[in-house]
Amino acid sequence: MAVRPVAADAGPKPVFKRPSLRERIKSSRTAWLYIAPAALIMLFVTLFPYIYQLFMAFTDYRVRNLRFNLLNPETWARYAPPFVGLDNFVRILTNQLTIENYDFWRLLLFNITWTVANIVFHVALGVLIALVLNSKTVLLRRVYRALFVLPWAMPGYVAALTWRNMYDDRFGAINQLFGVINRLIGTSFPTDTRWFVISEPPIGGLLSFLPLAFYAVLLANIWLGWPFMSVVATGALQSIPKELYEAASIDGASGWQQLRKVTLPLIRPAMVPAIMLGTIWTFNQFSVIYFISQGNPFGRTEILITQAYKLVAEQRLYGVAAAFSIVVFFILLSFTLINNRVTRATEAYDV
Amino acid sequence: MKGYSVELKDLVKVYGGEHGDPRVGAVNGINLGIHPGEFFTLLGPSGCGKTTTLRLVGGFETPTSGEVYIEGQAMSHVPPYNRPVNTVFQNYALFPHLTVAQNVAFGLAIKRVDKKEQERRVQEALEMVRLPDVGKRKPAQLSGGQQQRVALARALINEPSVLLLDEPLGALDLKLRKAMQIELKQLQKEVGITFIYVTHDQEEALTMSDRIAVMAEGSIIQVGDPVGIYEQPATRFVANFIGESNFIEGVLGGTGSDGAVVEVGAERALIRPDAEPWPAGTEVTVCVRPEKLMLYPPATECNGLSGTVREVIYIGTDTEFVVELANGVRAVARLQNIDGRGLGEFAVGDAVRVGWAMWDAHTLED
Ligand SMILES: Nc1ncnc2c1ncn2[C@@H]1O[C@H](COP(=O)(O)OP(=O)(O)OP(=O)(O)O)[C@@H](O)[C@H]1O
Ligand SMILES: [Mg+2]
Repeated sequence: MAVRPVAADAGPKPVFKRPSLRERIKSSRTAWLYIAPAALIMLFVTLFPYIYQLFMAFTDYRVRNLRFNLLNPETWARYAPPFVGLDNFVRILTNQLTIENYDFWRLLLFNITWTVANIVFHVALGVLIALVLNSKTVLLRRVYRALFVLPWAMPGYVAALTWRNMYDDRFGAINQLFGVINRLIGTSFPTDTRWFVISEPPIGGLLSFLPLAFYAVLLANIWLGWPFMSVVATGALQSIPKELYEAASIDGASGWQQLRKVTLPLIRPAMVPAIMLGTIWTFNQFSVIYFISQGNPFGRTEILITQAYKLVAEQRLYGVAAAFSIVVFFILLSFTLINNRVTRATEAYDV
Repeated sequence: MKGYSVELKDLVKVYGGEHGDPRVGAVNGINLGIHPGEFFTLLGPSGCGKTTTLRLVGGFETPTSGEVYIEGQAMSHVPPYNRPVNTVFQNYALFPHLTVAQNVAFGLAIKRVDKKEQERRVQEALEMVRLPDVGKRKPAQLSGGQQQRVALARALINEPSVLLLDEPLGALDLKLRKAMQIELKQLQKEVGITFIYVTHDQEEALTMSDRIAVMAEGSIIQVGDPVGIYEQPATRFVANFIGESNFIEGVLGGTGSDGAVVEVGAERALIRPDAEPWPAGTEVTVCVRPEKLMLYPPATECNGLSGTVREVIYIGTDTEFVVELANGVRAVARLQNIDGRGLGEFAVGDAVRVGWAMWDAHTLED
């Protein structure tokens, strides 16, 4: 046998080979065993409904199709929903649904307006109140801080129903409050406003598509939404070292300049993700719209998600509703992607 | 009185007392005069009130009583931004969302200095701290030492006449710390302004300062230049806090031409005479640094005391001998390992004479 000459750098260099998927699964078998039960449950509880909904969105799924059972082949022929391709989506986007006052683009416009208006108020109010309560001179600030989490501690629909009652035209707290004010200082505010019936817009011009009911639900949702922003802002504020303010004040920055040049830029990294979350929640704020205005008057305070619900609850149009939620999903997805691009939400400062 | 850059008069600061918080006396009546252009260090253990004193000078705290004068002006009603003072914070306190240049320019931007002028002065300041090329970076992209220099530039650009530095090198590693100590000192000479420097690191204080005030529990124990503080600590606390010391109790005898006599048990030794000597017969504590002690064979004629070696500890550059003196006090002598002098010459159990030069021993106030 000849001895192979060994040159200094001859022969194949050792290459690090990534282990194949099989090898990797094999080497982490125990780990897989541990997560298998949870993964299985997740598969059925979360993933399966998604996939099924996706399937429904491309069919004309109605009440009779509820008998369709994947596990029972006898039901397949009779009850399988007919495949309709993109028909549901086309009908949604071109307003070919047989429900009253349906106009997809008006709904979308309203939904966006609703979201923007809410977020503006939530953030402005939340940050403002966080700033006020962050100053040590405010008495009882612990009490306030505890109080403002209250809207959170309540289940959303309970809060919504309470507001619904407050807006009652005859017995509601709001109209009664106007009555009390009238009696106390002699003003003559109307005390029987039918908040969700009046279709006359309170503000004309560009905003004339917003009925009085919009402002009513907006108020209710501001009450519900600002504490979240305030809690996030408070956390961010408390993590700003006081030396930064001292450094700024040595350099002659006034309180207002410190707010603009130090506080706001430094709470921004915390606020951006909060705003994104808040936007998604508000865009799909079902309980406030559904329980308080119920879309009145004439569906003009309907948002996409409540409309989707009505498609099921009133019309049993399961397929269309499924397609509807997929549309909503893509709207929010594109919002998130654009927002990520624009604000680089992940950017944070090392303080 | 006149001519001080910063003067503290009977300065007292008590924290708390409101809302049932316990009252904490952080500064208990400090009197101090700091000269213009001086590198003045407040040195003391944690919690002794150094930061509080500095914050009183900077105007971030108001004194409970007493007064801060800067350039002869009483400061009690002057807000921080109107004092000719700037601060370098321990954690740098750079604005994380601004670039280095914007950080340095912060004060100028607030004062609406012309943009061109701002740029020029920022560049100048960054060059002064030897960081001419980092203007466009964010603070997080700099090392700790670089951030510290940016903080320095940001303070200096406002041309204060007093710069306050609160443990500015505390977060740096030892090597960088040493380098920055030298640089800071040089910088201070260049700009010629008063530095009030806080540290709890005695070596740092000794190497950098023109004068040092040693603090404990809100009071100043001793003020002096590094040599004075080290060679002649006034109290046990100072002697122990700065370096190590031996304390030997004795009774004062007479003062002769070759030094003051102190009687320790049956022995007598000479020490440096005090400027205002106590009367003979006073019980005193004599303080001698370990490195000033020499060991000799027992019969040697020299100024010092007799004892027995109890421990020998080799520590590389030196060897430490723990010697039990005749009166039971254990004294530590530290001999440099040169010429076989420390090592091997004496062993545990040997009788020795512990000697010192008269000038190297002195009495303490307490
Ligand atoms: N804002 C405050 N409220 C109450 N007590 C305080 C406050 N700041 C400091 N103290 C107390 O005052 C004393 C002196 O504190 P100071 O911060 O001046 O110490 P220091 O010498 O700077 O210590 P260190 O070397 O640890 O920084 C301490 O007992 C401290 O607990
Ligand atoms: Mg301190």
